[in-house]
Amino acid sequence: MASEAVAAFAPTDRRRRVKANLLVICAAIALILALIPLVAVFGYVFVNGIRSMLSLDFLIQDPPADLSATGGGVRNALVGTLEMTGLATLIAVPIALGMAVFAVEVGGRLAQAARFLIDVLAGLPSIVVGIFIYTSVVVTQGHFSGLAGSLALAIVMLPVVTVSAEEILRLTPRPIAEGARALGLTRWRAIMSVFVPVGLSGIITGILLGVSRAIGETAPLIFTSLGNNFFTLDLNQPMQALPLLIYRNALNSAFDAARDRAFGAALLLILIVLGFNLAGRWLTARRRLAGSSR
Amino acid sequence: MTDLVGSPETTEAVDRIGLRRRRWTGDLTFRGVLAALAVGTTLILGFMMVGSFVTAAPVYQKFGIIGFLTGTKWEPSFTIYGAWPFIYGTVLTSLLALLIAVPISVLIALLLTDLAPARLRGPLGVAVDLLAAVPSVVYGLWGLLVLVPVMRPFEQGVAGTLGKVVPFLGPPTPGPSYFAAAVILAVMTVPIISAVTREVFASTPRLQREAVLALGGTRWDVARTVTIPIGRAGLLAAIVLGLGRAIGETIAVTLVVGNSNNIGTSIFAPGFTLASVIANEFNEATETLHPEALIALGTVLLVISVLVNAGAITIRDRFTGGLRSGF
Amino acid sequence: MTTRSEDPLLAVETPQMTASVADPGGVPGARPEPAAGSARPPTEVAMTVRDLSAWYGQRRAVREISLDIDARAITAIIGPSGSGKSTLLRCLDRMHEVVPGARSSGQVLYQGVDIYDPMIEPAAVRRTIGMVFQQPNPFPTMTIYDNVAAPARFNGVVKGKAAEDDLVQRCLTRAALWNEVKDKLRHGGTSLSGGQQQRLCIARALALEPKVLLMDEPCSALDPVATLQVEELMSHLKADYTIVIVTHNMQQASRVSDTTAFLTMGEDRAGYLVEVGPTSEIFTSPKQQLTEDYISGRFG
Repeated sequence: MASEAVAAFAPTDRRRRVKANLLVICAAIALILALIPLVAVFGYVFVNGIRSMLSLDFLIQDPPADLSATGGGVRNALVGTLEMTGLATLIAVPIALGMAVFAVEVGGRLAQAARFLIDVLAGLPSIVVGIFIYTSVVVTQGHFSGLAGSLALAIVMLPVVTVSAEEILRLTPRPIAEGARALGLTRWRAIMSVFVPVGLSGIITGILLGVSRAIGETAPLIFTSLGNNFFTLDLNQPMQALPLLIYRNALNSAFDAARDRAFGAALLLILIVLGFNLAGRWLTARRRLAGSSR
Repeated sequence: MTDLVGSPETTEAVDRIGLRRRRWTGDLTFRGVLAALAVGTTLILGFMMVGSFVTAAPVYQKFGIIGFLTGTKWEPSFTIYGAWPFIYGTVLTSLLALLIAVPISVLIALLLTDLAPARLRGPLGVAVDLLAAVPSVVYGLWGLLVLVPVMRPFEQGVAGTLGKVVPFLGPPTPGPSYFAAAVILAVMTVPIISAVTREVFASTPRLQREAVLALGGTRWDVARTVTIPIGRAGLLAAIVLGLGRAIGETIAVTLVVGNSNNIGTSIFAPGFTLASVIANEFNEATETLHPEALIALGTVLLVISVLVNAGAITIRDRFTGGLRSGF
Repeated sequence: MTTRSEDPLLAVETPQMTASVADPGGVPGARPEPAAGSARPPTEVAMTVRDLSAWYGQRRAVREISLDIDARAITAIIGPSGSGKSTLLRCLDRMHEVVPGARSSGQVLYQGVDIYDPMIEPAAVRRTIGMVFQQPNPFPTMTIYDNVAAPARFNGVVKGKAAEDDLVQRCLTRAALWNEVKDKLRHGGTSLSGGQQQRLCIARALALEPKVLLMDEPCSALDPVATLQVEELMSHLKADYTIVIVTHNMQQASRVSDTTAFLTMGEDRAGYLVEVGPTSEIFTSPKQQLTEDYISGRFG
């Protein structure tokens, strides 16, 4: 009978059993503690920001010069973010791919050093990146600009995309890699025409993750694109960006109007960032389901 | 290998069967371009780094390196600059943040690799990772307007009781403070530390885990005797990685740290970190040497950050065979 | 780059090669029984291996193998696991050195020239000596058409759409796949069955117009029907190509090949050549005891 079976096994002594249960309970508490901010942040931002977001004006108007005034929108910030991030992507992706290919295919001391540099760059505070661009570009040009902002964001994106692309290329299935070599394809042919297409979805995931990181960055932009109350498409001018706008309004959050604007912009920003992040994860999941043929 | 190398017979024979090695193949140009790219990028980044030091040089010259690093006064209007309050703030907030984040991350990692039902592990893992996707300015906004007011009564409680005995935990409690920054930093570093730790724990050899279980051990025994000891090095790498992130976090900290140039005597006092003071003062830095001094602070941050990150990478590569999380 | 019309195997005379008397008919194993004790009748030699050794890092995998590969015939390499069969095969088209830390010594002569000569580009060797792998590996991101055409296009074997179309049809026909895929050339390379994929890989290798085709256990991942198809294909192909096949399936070797080489693992764990000879001889009256033991299933 069941009870006999249970009795047949000597029970674990009470202390250890209690500790084991305690462990699970503590771990669960830890998880809840960690997830509370996630829910809380989303919740507050959503609740406080949704009113602003529901009005179309929010997206098509610029903010008022006086932050304490109500009304207006975040158009210049939204466009600025998209423009600078777009340019940053165009700059960072080819370089990242090139370095990834270099590390995987050419290898050697130089590649190891470059890889180490990229790893260090990955952990560098983004404000330091901003300072780099400030001292080299802004000071030289004599003014803040969206271009400088794009460069800073490109440097922020670079390690993320490089590491991702490198791992994907290394994971090229061996049969395919061997098949390409056995057909007498030169290295660059094999990479361009076989390995990169095979790893494409993984590389795109890396790019999406890099973009989602760059879009949310504020610190590097403080010294480079500075921010702008007006709408501009000109990369040679200081440019506004969503994170910058949120920051300035947060600093003035004693005013209700600024507070509301900050939350509205924050909601918009989170939605965009999440969009890219989840798109990247979805691509990865799809790839795994498709199996080794990818 | 062959005794026909280079002889005219070989060349002829090789040519005849059409297998001649071509000198300037596409491959060579390809390698050249890539190498130039890698070298070029490295040089440009190095150049920028040097540029920062060069800009900051006047400040170092004025106060001396040690003088600047240990100087406790930061008064732009008198052209007096000292980095110590900010170094203190950075260290304090980061260590406090780790104190909170590490146990939580380790427990979560255990949960997600061992303790939780398999079905839940995926979604819960994604949820924890999503913590890292939230931009820091949003954390700052929320921290300032929600977390700080909510924590205030708790802070006052602690300051009023424990604080009487341990001044470190005592008043003042204006709200924005080292402690507030530490809490926000903890929230932001949990995803990183737990992601790496999860990978480390997941690669615990099954054999060892099952050996403990087969001997009648509980999950607690497995964690205590196998998972954590074996994952020690990886865990350390994860912690150092989290430290690196905490040190450099700027915007979220700026909004909640209280912005005071003084060295607060309590964790509930307002202060500054290296990163947050730069962000805070840069756009209004009109005094003499003020911008240069802020950039000098940036170089200090740069050096600390590079050391910490290089340490993390070395530990990771040496002891864990190069595990990299998706960050 | 050689073209199809020229046949350098006949045009070139070097001391290593004997004048050719082409083997009549392509039926495996049907060559005239040699009189007991006499040497084999002179045939054309496509490749000669001399004292080939190969290492993976410090571990020697193949010890000083020497043998001749006859032209336009099928040579089978058999032996137990670990006897270095695949390693030997991969040395024949310089794929062995692709593995990090791998190296080899000795000579592999193709038309009298050592393919390891520093003057020679490895990629060029692989265009002349093609390889088909155990696991079919068509490129998943290319169509069936492109799988065959692209490597040829990249290597400059064909230029222009018309020539490519022609090449694709020719090669798929030679690989006995044309009728099954001619209506779905634009489908993905991996949309076929295992046996079809393997034949696609053969067609792809043929598109480079190699002179020698190396096959590393090409049927071991296939079902019996597909295996039969590939074996039939091999007997047809040997009229125009020299084929070397590694197989752990003795019945297949005896069915399909003209010459068989038996390798086994020595005491130093490196593979060495025990015996090589006409397939019928090897399987009915081998000269070495070890061969006899392996054939009769006493080990391996």
